[in-house]
Amino acid sequence: MPGRQSHGRALLPTSGPKKVRGPSSRARSSRALEAFSIAENEVPARRPKGVRTRDLEEQPERASKRQHDEDDDDEDGGDDEGDDDEADEPRKKKARRGGDGDEFAGFSGSEDEEEWHVGVVSGDEDSDIDSDEAFGESDNEKFEGFAFSGSGSKKKGKKKKGEEEEEEEEESDDESLGSDAIDLATALDQWSEGEEEEGEDGEEEEDEESEEESDNDDEEDPAKLDALQSMIAGFAGEEEDGEEESGPKQKAKLSLADLGLAGVKDPHIKKSLKLMSKEEKTKPGARKKLDVPLAKRQQDKVLRSAAYEKTSETLDRWIDTVKSNRRADHLFFPLAQNAHDRGLDGGELMPITTKTSGTELEQTILAIMEESGLGPRAKPEDKEDGDAKPGLSQEEQMELTRQRRREREEHSRETVRAKRIKKIKSRAYRRVHRKELAREAQNEHDEKVATGEIDSEDEREAQDRRRALERVGTRHRESKWAKLGKKGGRAVWDENFRSGLTEMAQRQDELRKRVEGRTGGSDDEDDDDDDMSDASGDSDVNDKRRLLEQLERANEYEAEAPKKGLMAMKFMQRGEAEIKKANDELVAQLRRELGSDAEEEEEEEMDIGRRQYGMGKTAKNPFLTASAAKKLAEDEETTKTTSKPNGAKSSAPVRERSPSPAAPAAGGWSRSEKKVKVKIGAGELDLTNSLPALAVRKPSKPKTQQDSTKEADSDDEDALHLPMAIRDQEMIKAAFGGEDVSADFEKEKAEVEKDDDDKEVDNTLPGWGGWVGEGISGREKRRHQGRFVTKVEGIKKTDRKDYKLKSVIISEKRIKKNDKYLATQLPFPFESQQQYEGSLRLPVGPEWSTKETFQGATKPRVIVKQGIIAPMSKPMV
Amino acid sequence: METIDTIDAPLSRVEQPNGAFEIRGARTEFLSKQELIKARRLKEAQKAYGRGRAVDVKNVKDKKLRRNLTTLETKYKEATLKAKEAEILLENESGFLEPETELERTYKVRQDDITNDVGIATAQKRFELKLEELGPYRFDYSRNGRDLLVAGRKGHVATMEWREGKLGCELQLGETIRDARWLHNNQYFAVAQKKYVYIYDANGVELHCLRKHVEVSHMEFLPYHFLLATLGTNGMLKYQDTSTGQIVTEYPTKVGTPVSLAQNPYNAILHIGQQNGTVSLWSPNSAEPLVKLLAHRGPVRSLAVDREGRYMVTGGQDNKMAVWDIRMFKEVNNYFTRAPASSLAISDTGLTAVGWGTHTTVWKGLFSKARAVQEKVQSPYMTWGGEGRAIERVQWCPFEDVLGLGHTDGFSSIIVPGAGEANFDALEVNPLETKKQRQEGEVKALLNKIQPEMIALDPNFVGKLDLRSDEQRRTERDLDAKPVDVVEEMRNRARGKNGVLKKYLRKQKKKNIIDDKRLKVEEMIKQQQENRAEKHEAKMAQLGPSLARFARKE
Repeated sequence: MPGRQSHGRALLPTSGPKKVRGPSSRARSSRALEAFSIAENEVPARRPKGVRTRDLEEQPERASKRQHDEDDDDEDGGDDEGDDDEADEPRKKKARRGGDGDEFAGFSGSEDEEEWHVGVVSGDEDSDIDSDEAFGESDNEKFEGFAFSGSGSKKKGKKKKGEEEEEEEEESDDESLGSDAIDLATALDQWSEGEEEEGEDGEEEEDEESEEESDNDDEEDPAKLDALQSMIAGFAGEEEDGEEESGPKQKAKLSLADLGLAGVKDPHIKKSLKLMSKEEKTKPGARKKLDVPLAKRQQDKVLRSAAYEKTSETLDRWIDTVKSNRRADHLFFPLAQNAHDRGLDGGELMPITTKTSGTELEQTILAIMEESGLGPRAKPEDKEDGDAKPGLSQEEQMELTRQRRREREEHSRETVRAKRIKKIKSRAYRRVHRKELAREAQNEHDEKVATGEIDSEDEREAQDRRRALERVGTRHRESKWAKLGKKGGRAVWDENFRSGLTEMAQRQDELRKRVEGRTGGSDDEDDDDDDMSDASGDSDVNDKRRLLEQLERANEYEAEAPKKGLMAMKFMQRGEAEIKKANDELVAQLRRELGSDAEEEEEEEMDIGRRQYGMGKTAKNPFLTASAAKKLAEDEETTKTTSKPNGAKSSAPVRERSPSPAAPAAGGWSRSEKKVKVKIGAGELDLTNSLPALAVRKPSKPKTQQDSTKEADSDDEDALHLPMAIRDQEMIKAAFGGEDVSADFEKEKAEVEKDDDDKEVDNTLPGWGGWVGEGISGREKRRHQGRFVTKVEGIKKTDRKDYKLKSVIISEKRIKKNDKYLATQLPFPFESQQQYEGSLRLPVGPEWSTKETFQGATKPRVIVKQGIIAPMSKPMV
Repeated sequence: METIDTIDAPLSRVEQPNGAFEIRGARTEFLSKQELIKARRLKEAQKAYGRGRAVDVKNVKDKKLRRNLTTLETKYKEATLKAKEAEILLENESGFLEPETELERTYKVRQDDITNDVGIATAQKRFELKLEELGPYRFDYSRNGRDLLVAGRKGHVATMEWREGKLGCELQLGETIRDARWLHNNQYFAVAQKKYVYIYDANGVELHCLRKHVEVSHMEFLPYHFLLATLGTNGMLKYQDTSTGQIVTEYPTKVGTPVSLAQNPYNAILHIGQQNGTVSLWSPNSAEPLVKLLAHRGPVRSLAVDREGRYMVTGGQDNKMAVWDIRMFKEVNNYFTRAPASSLAISDTGLTAVGWGTHTTVWKGLFSKARAVQEKVQSPYMTWGGEGRAIERVQWCPFEDVLGLGHTDGFSSIIVPGAGEANFDALEVNPLETKKQRQEGEVKALLNKIQPEMIALDPNFVGKLDLRSDEQRRTERDLDAKPVDVVEEMRNRARGKNGVLKKYLRKQKKKNIIDDKRLKVEEMIKQQQENRAEKHEAKMAQLGPSLARFARKE
């Protein structure tokens, strides 16, 4: 197409308004415009001609005549335009081109758009090429960023055209923007001002013009617009080149006169002209005449590109599926999407109803169920409905239920109270009972001890031992050791000191707890099931108080119970009273018991742990003798102030109740000061304590002395056997004194190191460059040595694996036999050794992983099951 | 027992100069409980079953490789988690003797006490074989711990299923026996006799006399490689493949008569204790020891390696017992023994039995892989002996809480609680196997046999990257080696219709390169065809004109 059409516009150079340079004054310019428009019609021949219009010059009269009877021409026609008239050809092309241009620009559409165009530039839709259009492509580039006011929207549509019309622009470039040209925007302004003056003068003009342009339905103010058009045309110094502006505009008025063929009789031309005018009148969408089809090749190309786009669009839908399939660990065929039960969820079973029951069996079963009242229809009857009385409204009914509920609640209050009292009672009973049991057991025990049935000594010993253990090694915060350590900041570097510190802290904590009377914390937390008891007192006194409080609360509860409704009735009250009485009795009984218990308690309940003597406390332990008390006080002082390290000696808890006179004396479980420790070589340990025969402790040893710590114990054993061990050691040393094994080893290691190290090899050949044989002096020989020395790289001493290991030689020789199991080079996809070797970390075999892992690792990538493998019907992703 | 507090990992918190305490394991980010549990589980699994550090996927440039590696990593992670979860299937657990009070000592517990307190079935595992005449006895448990091979110094050999007390065979060889070992199962055993090593079957029939193994004093059998390693008094270390019958390698140790031998079950490296106090580590692939370490001042009397190949215990003539970390080759601890340890054995759970003089001591916790710093144990776990029977060998029975003791008066089996692996892997070794399973296992083991070339200090080296430089490789290439005659090689390899020759030609035709080799091959093929045609004709002639068509073409 481009080949045939490129010059279409340029063939109608005459139709454009003659470019008139507006004079500097406004009036003159407007008058000149008018004059021009008149002259334009009358003297078409004077127009400057483009190259291709020259041949049209032959019949100027005919063209003018033609202009007058244009309308008649529209009707007649029908002549064929078989022969090629020179003048006709370009016009035809022109017409077609105009239509094409419209289509491309997309201006075929709405009315208002057209109107807008009209308002700005011209009434003629086809001829609306404004000042923008005048800019060629090169100009567009030049004036980038520059915008005409009100013409922005046109620009877009017309740009394409501009490209095509480059040639024409080149032709008329010489005419662009003369010396006295003005800016289009300012010109427009000027014109609008001068419009009023122009008014009267334009009247005559209008008449003529209106006739010609009667076919423009949209035009509201034809005269003004015309004037505007002509003015713009006048300014079109740069537009002149763009015949495309005036071309399409003039098309409507195109006549033979325009072409200077007014007198033409050729029916072909007439017909073609008529066709042209018809074409312009009809809307582009509705026109009858078809475009000349594109060349076959061109068409195919367009088709191909369209088809390609379509195909690639369809194929793109599969990309994700293909990708996911490519990445999938396993593929299963036949595909799940083609399975006959696709979309059915086999995971859940729906209940069978009469509708869903498909098979006979199901229906039968359903029928049986229905008969026996188990079917889906048999619904549990609504209870409320049964209760509802027919005569009552809903509100009344609700009121009734509320009332009933209230009554029920009130009735239950007393029972609740009874329950609570019962609970309290049971708990109290349990407690009391347990106390009694304990007391009995204690008594029994005491009796037994008295009669000598139980060796209480053992127990005490165990106890004592425990205490001793607790004390041994206790370090105190204020001790000399601690102070020394703190001063020197030993904690930072000395591990022993650090561990000592923690030990100290732990001990201290433990002792403090013991002093306070909390031993393990496993006292009595058995009955925390009570929802009301939030206070967690340990002692029984507290417990009792709490119980009493609870009782009180229970009473209060009863007192505030309201009396209304059903409860107001006599018989209810009577029953209530009975329950209450029973409850009260219970409470009283409980109180009695608790009271008596509490009194008892006061006598014998003592807090475990050390007693606190101070301002607030006056109670004295009656069982303590004065001296003991004094001692205790001392002890307390020591623990409080802790000035002496010795103070902790007797800081273990003292049991007041222990009646035995053989109370552990301080010396009894104090640490035995004497340590019989014989130092042997560091890091050597005696195996002798494993000797059962020797390990048996002497029976003569007093039992109390066994209470020493474990360390002392082992020390003792050491003491028992060590002399022999030492003797052995010495003997051994003597025995192996002769051969110095380690020195030999060092020597060997040095040799190996030297062997493996870098070496210099003398490649000098004797006789090469010198004489050999007998009679050669040693000096001569030496002179030739070391002439060709090569250095063989080895492993430096510092690079050896055993460089830092004292008594180890690790061979640095490469084991060639192992090489065949090494990968000679990094396999392809991997980028580094770490990646490759990391990927081999986990063996596949069943011995090294679970069955699941093994099966997962060895599952084939493609699994084909029996069945028809249909292709994928749609993308899966 | 004191736990060691180090600077790197202090147990007690150290007060900083400004009086603040370091907070350990502080959580800096918020995690939900599930996430925390998950993270903890993963951590535990990684600790127990993790296989090294994960590949850093982020730095991978190639997209596809990155994705592949990521999936691989997730798979590995899942595998470790699964392995951890599978622990639920380990239904048995081992328990040790535990003292109730601090004054109680487990080593004071006598065998009688134990047998009184355990069930009858367990108590029966304690027994004695009184063989006073032909001692001292050496012995060996089969791999699954069911069979016992006892060999007296003076020529008495017997096998038995010790749990049933069923005697397998009994031999009176009438010559000195230095060692005896089971081979891969209870069907064969090797006995190192006065001069040679003999192999007998379960019925006591002599199958082989290995004349190349002269005056063998120690033997070890490597079950995965089917290698019988013998160490002669002359210091020759020989490996014999018991599946093919060939001697794989023999190396002189060159340091006089070796004193002890043990195998590392982890990597099949042999540890040889020498006269000069060194322990040398040998593989069949190197003519010199891979590692030599000076363990003692006197001869290394006994050796034992734990089953994970992490620790080695050596007993020396200098009355010392040393614990070594044989991955780093560092001495962990050093103990003093009353008499040189004549035999050492490490059980599955890490109990170490030391036979010294007439005593046997069992130590617990000499080493533990869980601890960063090994502590020095103060007292033994159990003791036995002291009754005038010199211990010749101690060995743990696999999968049992039983310690076998060979001594001058025969054999004793004692109960040591907590010694055996409680959960056995029947795929690996099955102590309850039937005859059929044994047979299957034998075939499977033969199919899975590992080549002796795969023995190295690091058994995971297979498949790793050869890191030698190209230059190094070039220098190491043997330039004097004879060029391989391809045709000859092919002739030897050629078999079947689609032989190597044809395949070669088929491939070469595509390339259209005609060289010397190809010409040779073509010639060879031609000759083969001619031969075949000749044969065919001969056959046809033999069959006669009417039957000639039935002559089969090759």
